Amino acid sequence: MNDGLTLAWLLQNLLNGLSIGSVYAVFALGYTLVFSVLGIINFAHGAVFTLGAYLTYVLAVGEFGLNGLLAGVTLPFKLPFALALLVGALLSGLAGVGVERLAFRPLRKRGADALLALVSSLGVALILVNCIQYLFGAEIYSFPPDVLGELPPALLFHVGEGLVAMRTIQAVLFGVSMLMLTLLVWFIHFTKHGKALLATAENPDTASLLGISVDAFVLGTFFISGLLGGISGTLIGVSFGLAGPYFGVAYGLKVLAVIVLGGLGSIPGAVLGGLVIGLGEAFLPPELSSYKEAVAYTLLFVVLLVRPQGLLGANAEEKV
Amino acid sequence: MEDFLARYGFLLVTILQQGLLGLSLYFPLMAGQLSLASIGFYALGGYVAAIMGTHPELEALRESLGFFMYPLEWLAALAVSTALGLALGYPALRLRGIYLALATIAFVQIFGVVVLNLPIAGGAIGIFDIPQPFESRLAYLWFFGPLLALVLLFLWRMERTGTGRLLRAIREDELAARAMGVRVTARKVQAFVIGCALAGVVGAMSAPLLNTWNARQGTFDAAVACLAYVLIGGARSKWGPLLGAALLVSLPELLRPLQDSRMILNGVVLVLACVYMPRGIVGLFAGRSAGRQA
Repeated sequence: MNDGLTLAWLLQNLLNGLSIGSVYAVFALGYTLVFSVLGIINFAHGAVFTLGAYLTYVLAVGEFGLNGLLAGVTLPFKLPFALALLVGALLSGLAGVGVERLAFRPLRKRGADALLALVSSLGVALILVNCIQYLFGAEIYSFPPDVLGELPPALLFHVGEGLVAMRTIQAVLFGVSMLMLTLLVWFIHFTKHGKALLATAENPDTASLLGISVDAFVLGTFFISGLLGGISGTLIGVSFGLAGPYFGVAYGLKVLAVIVLGGLGSIPGAVLGGLVIGLGEAFLPPELSSYKEAVAYTLLFVVLLVRPQGLLGANAEEKV
Repeated sequence: MEDFLARYGFLLVTILQQGLLGLSLYFPLMAGQLSLASIGFYALGGYVAAIMGTHPELEALRESLGFFMYPLEWLAALAVSTALGLALGYPALRLRGIYLALATIAFVQIFGVVVLNLPIAGGAIGIFDIPQPFESRLAYLWFFGPLLALVLLFLWRMERTGTGRLLRAIREDELAARAMGVRVTARKVQAFVIGCALAGVVGAMSAPLLNTWNARQGTFDAAVACLAYVLIGGARSKWGPLLGAALLVSLPELLRPLQDSRMILNGVVLVLACVYMPRGIVGLFAGRSAGRQA
């Protein structure tokens, strides 16, 4: 059936790769923002991603699962998906702020080793994930098929001899991700606050001398980062289901490969890295599909050996 | 006392085992290199031992060697881990800091996926019914105890001789060390490979202890746990990883009455330890005299 390089095959894989890759990019930007401001990888980001998915689920579906502490509780309302996504994302942003207050600020105030922040953010991730498990239970949640309303599940296009199927979810994934990327780029480059954020990332000391409140901007960065994490969690959750409270941690690791691939701290790099890994997974030959989870790490490994600063990263030669 | 040992024997053995894994991270850290690869080598060593212990074609060898099959498994795990450690170390140790940490995480993840797809490693089910030399789990102290003593002796010697000083020089200032003629990359690879080999042997000893071996032995969570032992215990002392392992392994046991919420508290302890014990448990005891080194 797949006799190699038909146009339909190419388009189908491009479509699959770009839609998931764009979500990877949004997720990765959450890491990138924090890294560019603090120079630290926030390992709790995967947990915030999970939290966003669960919150949106509850807001959109209106009920909890069967075996958490909140089993059987129903909300008096059900939000339409778009609104639930937005509220879930805002709440995840607040969770991001909480992560900063718990795991990062106390260490920053003491001028502690950056490695410790890695462990403390993992500690916060452990707290978040287990709170989710405690409240929501360990079972698999999947969004009901009609969560997006009365849309057809997929659109079929005839391309030459073949068929290309675009799932509605894929269009939503791609559309929402592109919207978020555009908003973020606009915010950073075309607003005063965004420029202050860039200045804080460039040099916190100088920024604070210029009257920028570094603490406030660090908090803001974590808020945006959490928001992006929550949105990407929801998007992945809608597409593939929520495979238990730990599902974000696995995606979080994979997306670490994305940010290093593109270049740590580089925003275009995170987007490029996300798309490369999404496409890499989509174009993996079906006979190798059991190796799909290794694609991101293998690409990461190769890039690190050939070009350690990542595809778009600045060459950070360390000086004394 | 016997009651205590019967109840907590497994805990004690686990502390030694995890402490040894923490020490395997300590070796590259002596040269300032943060590697999380150990857990991959631990899994590798366990697979070597599990395959040697269960593969039908090796039945004759097992019959003739008897108990000495176990030391042979350790040696095989040591050899395989050293070889893979060298192959991984030379390219990976050109990286530093967070890049090296991420590259080693990538190695652990790739290893996990490859193992799931290798028929000889038993796929997702893994390898089970691994022969056990001892009836009681406490008896595995005969495996881990001497290994720990050996490693501590080795470290004690190393810290007082040239190699240890060279590694410390690299940790404090890589450029200066290079300028003084230290072969920085070779030394880093040396420290890394020692850690890999140790993790491989610990894995080979752990396979009989756990009786089954599968891809869950080499997860990111386990890698993080090892890192936490070192950082919570104290990354500047060989006692740090042991103290950290003792605390973090027994913590879930101590918190057992809390049941579901104990993992939440485990996270709280990690965060609090980072904030209030930045130099680890060892740092608390060392007081001011250690401040000079930090």
